[in-house]
Amino acid sequence: MSTVAVEVVYRGIFQKSLARNIVRNIVFAARKDGKIGTAFGRYGDSPERNGIPAKQFAVVADDPEELDEILAQYEPTEVDVTINVDDTMCKGVESWAWYGLQPINQLTKTDGTLIVTSRQDADSLIRDMHQKDSPFGLSIVKSTVSFSGLWVYKDDHTDVRILGNLCSICPQLVSLDSMLETIREQMGSETKVASAQKAYDIAVVRSVEPGEGNPETPYTFELPGWKSMEEGVVIRAIEPGGGFRGGDSGYQPVRSEVFKKYSTRSMRPVINFETCIKCTLCWLQCPDTCFDVTPDGLYDANMESCCGCGVCEAVCPVPDCVTMVGEPDFEDNNSQWEMWQKDKEGYNQWMMALVDKQKAETRSHGFHHVGGYADEIATTEEAS
Amino acid sequence: MTTVQDLPQVKGVKNIPLEEQFTSGHRTCQGCESALVMRLMIKAAGPRTIVLGSTGCMYVANTTYYSTPWVVPWMHTQLGSSGSAATGTAAGLSSLMRKGKMHQEPINVIAFCGDGGGADMGLSAISAALQHDEYNLLILMYDNESYANTDIQVSGSSPWGANSTFSPPGKVHRIMNKRWKKNTAPMLATGHPDVRYVATACGSYGLDFTNKIRRALTIGGPTFIHSIDPCPKGWDYDPKFSHELGMLAVETGLWVQYEIIDGEVILNGPSRAIARGIRKRKPITDYLTRQGRFAHMNEEDHKFFQERVDESWEKWWIPGIIPFSPKEQ
Amino acid sequence: MTTVETQLFQTETEDLISGSEAIAIACALADVDVITAYPIRPYDTVMQYVSKLKADGVFDCDFIVAESEHSQFEIVKHASAVGARTFSGSSGVGWFYAFEAITVTAGLRMPVVAMVGNRALDDPGAFGTEHNDALAVRDLGWMLYWVATAQEALDTALLAWRVAEDPNVLLPMAISCDGSFLTHSQAIVKVPASEQVRKYLPPYDRGKLQLHPDNPITVAPQVNEDWLMEIRRQSDEAMKRSVGVIQEAYQEFKEEFGRGDPSPFIEQYMAEDADIILVGMGTLALPVKVAIRRLREQGTKVGFVRVKFFRPFATEELRQALGHSKAVCVIDRDYSYGSPSFGGVLFHEMKSALYSLETRPLMLNFIAGLGGREVRVRDVNQIVEFGQQAMATGKIEQETTWIGVRE
Repeated sequence: MSTVAVEVVYRGIFQKSLARNIVRNIVFAARKDGKIGTAFGRYGDSPERNGIPAKQFAVVADDPEELDEILAQYEPTEVDVTINVDDTMCKGVESWAWYGLQPINQLTKTDGTLIVTSRQDADSLIRDMHQKDSPFGLSIVKSTVSFSGLWVYKDDHTDVRILGNLCSICPQLVSLDSMLETIREQMGSETKVASAQKAYDIAVVRSVEPGEGNPETPYTFELPGWKSMEEGVVIRAIEPGGGFRGGDSGYQPVRSEVFKKYSTRSMRPVINFETCIKCTLCWLQCPDTCFDVTPDGLYDANMESCCGCGVCEAVCPVPDCVTMVGEPDFEDNNSQWEMWQKDKEGYNQWMMALVDKQKAETRSHGFHHVGGYADEIATTEEAS
Repeated sequence: MTTVQDLPQVKGVKNIPLEEQFTSGHRTCQGCESALVMRLMIKAAGPRTIVLGSTGCMYVANTTYYSTPWVVPWMHTQLGSSGSAATGTAAGLSSLMRKGKMHQEPINVIAFCGDGGGADMGLSAISAALQHDEYNLLILMYDNESYANTDIQVSGSSPWGANSTFSPPGKVHRIMNKRWKKNTAPMLATGHPDVRYVATACGSYGLDFTNKIRRALTIGGPTFIHSIDPCPKGWDYDPKFSHELGMLAVETGLWVQYEIIDGEVILNGPSRAIARGIRKRKPITDYLTRQGRFAHMNEEDHKFFQERVDESWEKWWIPGIIPFSPKEQ
Repeated sequence: MTTVETQLFQTETEDLISGSEAIAIACALADVDVITAYPIRPYDTVMQYVSKLKADGVFDCDFIVAESEHSQFEIVKHASAVGARTFSGSSGVGWFYAFEAITVTAGLRMPVVAMVGNRALDDPGAFGTEHNDALAVRDLGWMLYWVATAQEALDTALLAWRVAEDPNVLLPMAISCDGSFLTHSQAIVKVPASEQVRKYLPPYDRGKLQLHPDNPITVAPQVNEDWLMEIRRQSDEAMKRSVGVIQEAYQEFKEEFGRGDPSPFIEQYMAEDADIILVGMGTLALPVKVAIRRLREQGTKVGFVRVKFFRPFATEELRQALGHSKAVCVIDRDYSYGSPSFGGVLFHEMKSALYSLETRPLMLNFIAGLGGREVRVRDVNQIVEFGQQAMATGKIEQETTWIGVRE
């Protein structure tokens, strides 16, 4: 038996078309190799929401009967290749079709491979991933993470580069020749074929041993049965909030224990508490009620809840007071205000370094204006 | 008729209540303005409120079994049922309190609906609800200009020409949605002149929004608010621009901010400035080019759009509200 | 307690009223809090009576004329959620217009009591009685009851609030009343005193499920495949529990008001030693009983079992009542095109219920009385003849027969 399963873990909506292009072309290419396959998304992820992790799958087999065997379980229990198209998801994903935080390598088979699009190096990616009991390979497609939207696609060749890389690290899935031919047919572009070829040529795999990675246990919870669930489709509301950190002043809402949403973000805000003029706008305009109000009237973004939308940065009237910076630079969800309270000098330095770094980086987050993607692609190409 | 709560108008953003009745842990898109509208709405209304939420993004994304962001009591209702849910809840409370079966106190009743569930399917129920002077209730229609939860389809409130899974621009037909957005708030206001409060709102103007909710909940009788909610998923833009796009909708004159209180029309904010000639409307192109759902539009389309907006401000009796004018002056 | 003092119903009285009026009076006796109306024949006579009772101050309720049946049922569903005792109703396609609301009412465990004035479904439009409207909700968690007389209509309505609102049940109940025969014709009815009813009906209390700021809950969040089966299983369990609650409530009713059958679920008429037993629901019971009396006088061992509660279905009681017979003739005042016997709904349910009997009687289906056509004594005689034929030959010539149809 030689069925091969691939999952693409992606940012909902932002990377929906990207994921779709990848899985469909795998199946088309496999067809050219004389195999049979199917591609599908998880119904449980639907409807997708911007940023919330989702999955699509491609499953390839030698013949229809073999294909049936693997599809008898709607979602594969293990995959040969996990493709992660946003490196910040190496920290784990919380999606709608799963309860709790799922490690990025959860489904990756023993000796399977994890492909990640990233500008980081292997060691920093591995630091983010949860430890796994079995070994697997890590292959990086060096690239800025590619974000689009529903209607306009950012055609920056990320899809074909991944497909090229895939052919190298998983030759039993599909042959390079078939893949290149498929790209030619489906996308009608020789430059894309070239991108795929190049990605194939430079692909490398670094093995990850058991024990490497983040030692934390990702959070989970048990689902109750019908006898202990309340009747009438009723669940208890969230408790009212209270003072900041349980004190008498400021305010801190109670937050959901079962859906935290922080794995949705690829960027997080850092705050300059000293230039803040307490205009309230970040706190007021946050759709996710992230900001705790401190006793001194400052606003501390709760990092368990923040999903990284960036509205706080957009509404803040003070330059560089709230800045969205790349998520990979963080190892935890600690409170920034508490860090600042403990060591103001140290915090400010750390924070400003991140702000400066962000100014040099080009991590983008979707559509800005008609023609914007072409500008971004040109800029990135210049930069690399 | 039960009395109303003491919910005074808030003077200045710093006086907006800190207490949150809608917290984190919902599964909405990054930058979801509709979620912000929910948060601001219930923050303004306070804990002695019952919310009825009709099917849509603000149902499915917010309340997925086992997690909820609501601190106040909340109940699902059907897609076209915001009006009947509000009526039923208000009637139940009213009857029980009057008959001595429930402790007397003014409880806010708010039913929300999306543009699909409200202005399309649920219009008759909302209209009926607005005829019941004896009930204090607020119906809030959050308008992201599509059936968003079903992965974006055009509704009667979608803009002309917008891309959606039911109106994709194709090789033969570039513009599939030819319907111009219907004007729901004025339709309800003129059709129900006994309703004491009808307003439009936008989450980008947080203080204005808060006060509108409070006015609606304390004026007495059934009331209606229509908010425009930029939607990163359906409109296709980087979520951080949600706030900016809400303002742009107002600044181009496409969306008019107003209140109709006991028969008087009051324009708010930039809309008032535009009406008085203090401020020029930004060109609609500025708005259209910032969203992927309009990316397929050409110059001709932009021109058509601009003409429609101009017409509203230059020819209508009251811009955005009354499109007729008497033949004889 | 109601704050409106009323002169009516101080003691038990007798009146000449229709089934609709009887149920309207039951609403007043039960001190219903919210009632919604929308005009459609033939049920809406009940709402005309309700509005008069309210206008005359006989009882106090919020009486709302909705702008559609869908809204009508949504309104009472939500009133029920905050703890109000509710009543609504409809007929035919009006009931179908409310289908979405009707479906979720059961799923949400709201104990709404509704009267269905059974009416033929459009198209073509027809006001006459047929059972398909109420039957359509049989899978959804509504309790369903078919009444045969105006007295039974009143009594069953009181039973309905008692059972539906029981904390172990919390399921809605629909009371089916044949259009015209029950909704528009009058009979002598004993009307209880309101004090008696107050004793019998405890107040409606949703407890921890009440929607109120003192009990903050989220009701009916969206679910996926990880939760829905468990939620459905809970409704299944509630319907199972309703059987015991119904038995208890019916027994107490008999003790308090002094009338009722041995069983809440079925009525047996001359069936104990019958060879041929007819089965049916609703007002056709009258011509059936008259026909059976006459046949018995001639020595034919024939009987009748009237199904009262269609949901929950009293499988065991029916097996016991029918197990000894040789032939069972099920009269369906409904149809189910393309069903296994190309027959009616009741027949298929009966067949399924009797399947596990050691010795099964022969079973025949008769479609009769559709669209308000009368089921006459001679139709019943004809049905009995079919039964006798089958008994004699031991075979079934034709499983389903349409009675009284012009060829």
